[in-house]
Amino acid sequence: MCGDRYFTSVYAVLRFNLYFCRKIKFTCKMPCEMITLQLGQCGNQIGFEFWKRLCAEHGISPEGILEEYATEGTDRKDVFFYQADDEHYIPRAVLLDLEPRVIHTIMNSPYAKLYNPENIYLSKHGGGAGNNWASGYSQGERLQEEIFDIIDREADGSDSLEGFVLCHSIAGGTGSGMGSYLLEKLTDRFPKKVIETYSVFPNQDEISDVVVQPYNSLLTLKRLTQSADCVVVLDNTALNRIATDRLHIQNPSFTQINTLVSTIMSVSTTTLRYPSYMNNDLIGLIAPLIPTPRLHFLMTGYTPLTTDQEAASVRKTTVLDVMRRLLQPKNMMVSTAHDRNAAHCYISILNIIQGEVDPTQVHKSLQRIRERKLAQFIPWGPASIQVALSRKSPYIQSAHRVSGLMLANHTNISSLFDRALQQYDKLRKREAFLEQFRKESMFKDNLEELDHSREVVQELVDEYQAATRPDYLSWGTDQASIDS
Amino acid sequence: MSEFKLHHLVTELIEHLGSRASPEWCVENLQKDSAATSLSSYNHVTQSCIRQLARKSPDPQSFIAKYEELKAKDTDCLRPFVQLLSVISEDRKLKEYLQKNAKKATTELQNPQVSQGSIGSISGAVADSKVIENVTTKDLPRIRIRLQKEAEIALGKRTLPSSKRENQGKARHPNYHSPVMPNWNNVRPNMNLDFITDHSGPALFSAPLGPIPVCSQESMLLEDILSCLEGAEGDYIVPDPLQGPYETRMFSISESVDPSLREFTEKILPLASHYSMVMRFIQEKSQFEYGQVNHALTAAMTALMKDYMVFVAQLETAHRKGSFTLHKLWFFIQPTLHTMEILANIASTISKSGAKGGKVLSLLHERTSSYTGDPTGQELCLYLTQKACVPYMEILEKWVYKGVICDPYQEFLVEDNEVIQKEELPLDYSADYWEKRYTIRRERIPVFLERVADVILRTGKYLNVIRQCGKNVKSPQAEEIVYTIKKRQYVEAIEKAYHFASITLLQLLMQENDLMGRLRSVKHYFLLDQGDFIVQFMDSCEAELSKNIDDIVPTRLESLLELALRTSAANGDPYKDDMRTELLPYDLMFQMFKILSIETDEEKEYRLPSDKLQLLGLESFSFGYEVKWPVSLVLNRRAIACYQMIFRHLFYCKHVERLLCRVWICNKVAKSFALRAAKTYASAFALRQRMLNCVQNLEYYMMVEVIEPNWVTFFSSINKVNNVDDVLVCHSDFLDNCLKDCMLTNPTLLRTVNKLMAVCVQFCHFIQHMRRYYLDAELTSMLGPAYESYEGSNVYAEETPPPSPEHQSTMACDSDSFEQSIAKFNLQFTAVLVGLLDKISELGRENNGEKLLNVLYRLDFNTFYTEQLERLCTDRPMVENGKEGTSG
Repeated sequence: MCGDRYFTSVYAVLRFNLYFCRKIKFTCKMPCEMITLQLGQCGNQIGFEFWKRLCAEHGISPEGILEEYATEGTDRKDVFFYQADDEHYIPRAVLLDLEPRVIHTIMNSPYAKLYNPENIYLSKHGGGAGNNWASGYSQGERLQEEIFDIIDREADGSDSLEGFVLCHSIAGGTGSGMGSYLLEKLTDRFPKKVIETYSVFPNQDEISDVVVQPYNSLLTLKRLTQSADCVVVLDNTALNRIATDRLHIQNPSFTQINTLVSTIMSVSTTTLRYPSYMNNDLIGLIAPLIPTPRLHFLMTGYTPLTTDQEAASVRKTTVLDVMRRLLQPKNMMVSTAHDRNAAHCYISILNIIQGEVDPTQVHKSLQRIRERKLAQFIPWGPASIQVALSRKSPYIQSAHRVSGLMLANHTNISSLFDRALQQYDKLRKREAFLEQFRKESMFKDNLEELDHSREVVQELVDEYQAATRPDYLSWGTDQASIDS
Repeated sequence: MSEFKLHHLVTELIEHLGSRASPEWCVENLQKDSAATSLSSYNHVTQSCIRQLARKSPDPQSFIAKYEELKAKDTDCLRPFVQLLSVISEDRKLKEYLQKNAKKATTELQNPQVSQGSIGSISGAVADSKVIENVTTKDLPRIRIRLQKEAEIALGKRTLPSSKRENQGKARHPNYHSPVMPNWNNVRPNMNLDFITDHSGPALFSAPLGPIPVCSQESMLLEDILSCLEGAEGDYIVPDPLQGPYETRMFSISESVDPSLREFTEKILPLASHYSMVMRFIQEKSQFEYGQVNHALTAAMTALMKDYMVFVAQLETAHRKGSFTLHKLWFFIQPTLHTMEILANIASTISKSGAKGGKVLSLLHERTSSYTGDPTGQELCLYLTQKACVPYMEILEKWVYKGVICDPYQEFLVEDNEVIQKEELPLDYSADYWEKRYTIRRERIPVFLERVADVILRTGKYLNVIRQCGKNVKSPQAEEIVYTIKKRQYVEAIEKAYHFASITLLQLLMQENDLMGRLRSVKHYFLLDQGDFIVQFMDSCEAELSKNIDDIVPTRLESLLELALRTSAANGDPYKDDMRTELLPYDLMFQMFKILSIETDEEKEYRLPSDKLQLLGLESFSFGYEVKWPVSLVLNRRAIACYQMIFRHLFYCKHVERLLCRVWICNKVAKSFALRAAKTYASAFALRQRMLNCVQNLEYYMMVEVIEPNWVTFFSSINKVNNVDDVLVCHSDFLDNCLKDCMLTNPTLLRTVNKLMAVCVQFCHFIQHMRRYYLDAELTSMLGPAYESYEGSNVYAEETPPPSPEHQSTMACDSDSFEQSIAKFNLQFTAVLVGLLDKISELGRENNGEKLLNVLYRLDFNTFYTEQLERLCTDRPMVENGKEGTSG
């Protein structure tokens, strides 16, 4: 009898432990979570497309409910979604805007129930930022408490937050101005978290109705340089050109362009969502791409760029084909001016290849590229093409057997900033449209902020230029000593 | 012969010879040689060897006679032995050496003339003293002593029945005791069906026949002959005592018999000799210890003998009726004489070779096929062989259809070495089990089953595995296996059974136990295929694992593992519960060389547990995996250990990568610094980038270029296999390739990679440590006190870089400035890395197909290190020249 009691008590302890373990299980969440912040008209539009795409890839219905066919549990929905209950998935997204138009469109779409309504913030007066960076910035400052209430709540809700993804454009008012303010604040509040932005650069081919666009861009670029950790440049110029030239759409709509953008965004996070050997966290993905902290502007390239109507080519696409196409400028999502300084080179490349790929082909392709010198690399350090083979979503049927995304850190991106500087200088010389800025407190006394921003962007352009030379590592110190 | 066994024998031999050569080298050579010699040229070589040996020997006739005798006895391994002799006789150096040793040996030997017997080991040859003398060589002393022992046993077997019995009793399975038959033949000689010859000296004839007329003599002689044909001695024909136990019996005919009759009688008497031989054979071989095959054979012979007796009785009746002459007798016995000759022949061959079981069947089979031109003879032999085969085939059927060995007399070609008890299985299911539980005894294979011996072994082995899984095995088409002169029928039956067994087991493994699912799950965890799981696990465990191995709480690790399993995508894996954590008290290098058991001088040092007793958790951590029978057949200890080694290597690389990424996060603040301040860190950033590039590329290489392609080939080949042995081979090939290409099997490379990792770790700790002083200063000056008050100290508390021993030492002796330290790290890192690249390219020069070369291209993709490498290469010959100069 005595023995029996002893055993039952031991058993009870074991049971208790088990219970305890299970309890931990439920309270703990996945690591590497990301919070997406969508700012302004453009930010919300591309964000909307992005979530649409993620839902389709993970088999989540517009209402946030897991589809019946989505039983294969090898993907990680938890990077971008969290589970409210057993079947409800809610995006870890914060939607911010100063004017209601885009958000209203979203709320009237089938995806209205997807988002957490508490995470949608619309400025009360609803007047927008009037395409003025300074207005957006000061409104951001004013509304910061309410905004950070939402962000902090989201951050507390996730167990080990890895970082933020910010979607915005740099030309408008809300995305650029409020985005800049948020960037600064986020770096202060979360110094250990990675901040990645998907920044839409304005179309240079058409005359913008936003006259102060050069000012907005420059001021945002300063924040992107100093506060963001990784900027994926989405150049509207290139995107429009691709839409017209490659996809044969005469007047591409925002939606069509945004589909391209959402493809890039979803593929660039595919290694996080479909884990394999490597690149399963954001840092591991971007750290090798960004050797020195300032040079963190990434270009993207995508192949195949064809419309769905076009029949898939019969020929089998090899890894080499994909990698070679990705190195062609016409597939790049950034329109870089052809510089006289021909020494521009890659600092690093990451190719994410999806589809039916024979892993043994990867090395052969790399070697071929190396032999033929298809890509120029920096002379001051080791650099190579990293290849991540990633799975595809089983729920999306695509005509293409193999597709690839390139994330590249190329010194030629400085031409984009150079162009921004030139446009700024043109306006600034005439002192045009500055009165709108002087209305805001930041520029009330002087325009020092503009000058400082110009300096920072100029330094960035210089650093990119320097990165093409072998003495890059000692460049800064020399430069600084000459300066002083 | 399995590689293990070969290795063991070679080591033993080398030990005996007192040689210092490395066994690995010998084994390698041996294997190469054995692969080179083809079996087709075998016979031809032997013939020429014999001729040459005979030419060289002082007494060619006796040598050849001896050879023929041995050949007649069908001694095992005669051919290889002859070849060995010929090699010895041709190699002068070896001969001299042997002679030198032999002189020593003869003084030691007490009984030098006895050396008849067999050496079971390396040459597996039968030595014969005469033969050895013929070629004027003696064997090595040790082997000789051994040989002598064997010879004594062999001699004993042949001469003394009592000692023979003892020996056999010993050799037999310990659990088995064959019943002892009383030695009736000696005790009661009159029960013998053979002639009784208790007299010695000249034959005694009861009465002279001389005075009787020739025609009457014939009648009396007929009487005598007829009794002789039945094994009783006659008045005028008396059997001589035997020269040896298995010699032909001779007869003496009384001198008084008329010469013409005498001639006739002598022609007829061989029949009596045959009778005697067969009867002796029957009587001896019916005893228990000679085994079922012999029993069956004697039973068949007895049946034949009954006919013979009837025949003799008929002759006698004819004789009683009168008008029976020797001529008539001679005419009548013609066919019987032929039959009896064959029987006697068979009897004497089997007796002389002391054959048993499979060997008897081999002899019978050979005899049968040699009588191809003689239908009656062949029919007779076939009859005997078929009868003799019945018990053997029954054993075979049981084995092939049920997986049971029922072999009381140790005759069957498969032997069950029941070293491992079934209860121990889950614990100790090493690869040994599969290799060693059932073995083929080569000498017991009947010739006609030689080709299918492996198939037979495997069939039963598979059935056994199935039975051990608790399944009932029932072969559907269990048809009887009968010996025929044409192989087709029984081979077909065996192959059918094999097909059934292998398919059943494969299905059991692949479908019911989902082997591929298991392997995939193992791959997720051990080969880091499931990236998010490993990231999550490291996130939660890194703090714990950074402690010293003694301070780690294993249960904590277990629960963290559990947590990581539940919360990552691994949750969908049905086998996740079999994962365990293990803290191994030795580092990777030690494990590597323990497993591979490379024991050449170069690696000796690794055999000792490394001096660094204080292993960090990270260095000693590994997953364990619980495997159940029968999956443990494939995922045996060795396989798991291989997985563990790959895992440890990858795990540590991953850890270093994460450390570097953490440095990256710390450094990202630098972008808001003023340009001048930020540029102080440029060299540190560049170095970090180089390290990260290197580590990531190594990982990429190992995962994407080694593991994944190997896995794909493994996967495609495993879909094609049709038996479990192939599965095992595929799997171990997969692991071996992975180990080799991940640079784990090459000690120098492994050491260099480890050094590389160590430099990276030191660098990370240094930066983490320094940022308190440097970056903090920059930041506070930049952002003012507000920043500090906001963040407080909790940011740094989050950071837990453990002060490892080497870390502290660098800190302690560090009086250099930041830039100087970075430059130092830079030099160190570059030196090690360039060293690694150089070693790899050297390997690549030796073997162009080396996969490792991929590392070279990966790490040096933009030819950043090429210049340094080239410099190293041009320096090397100079250094070597310099060395020569100083030494010369």
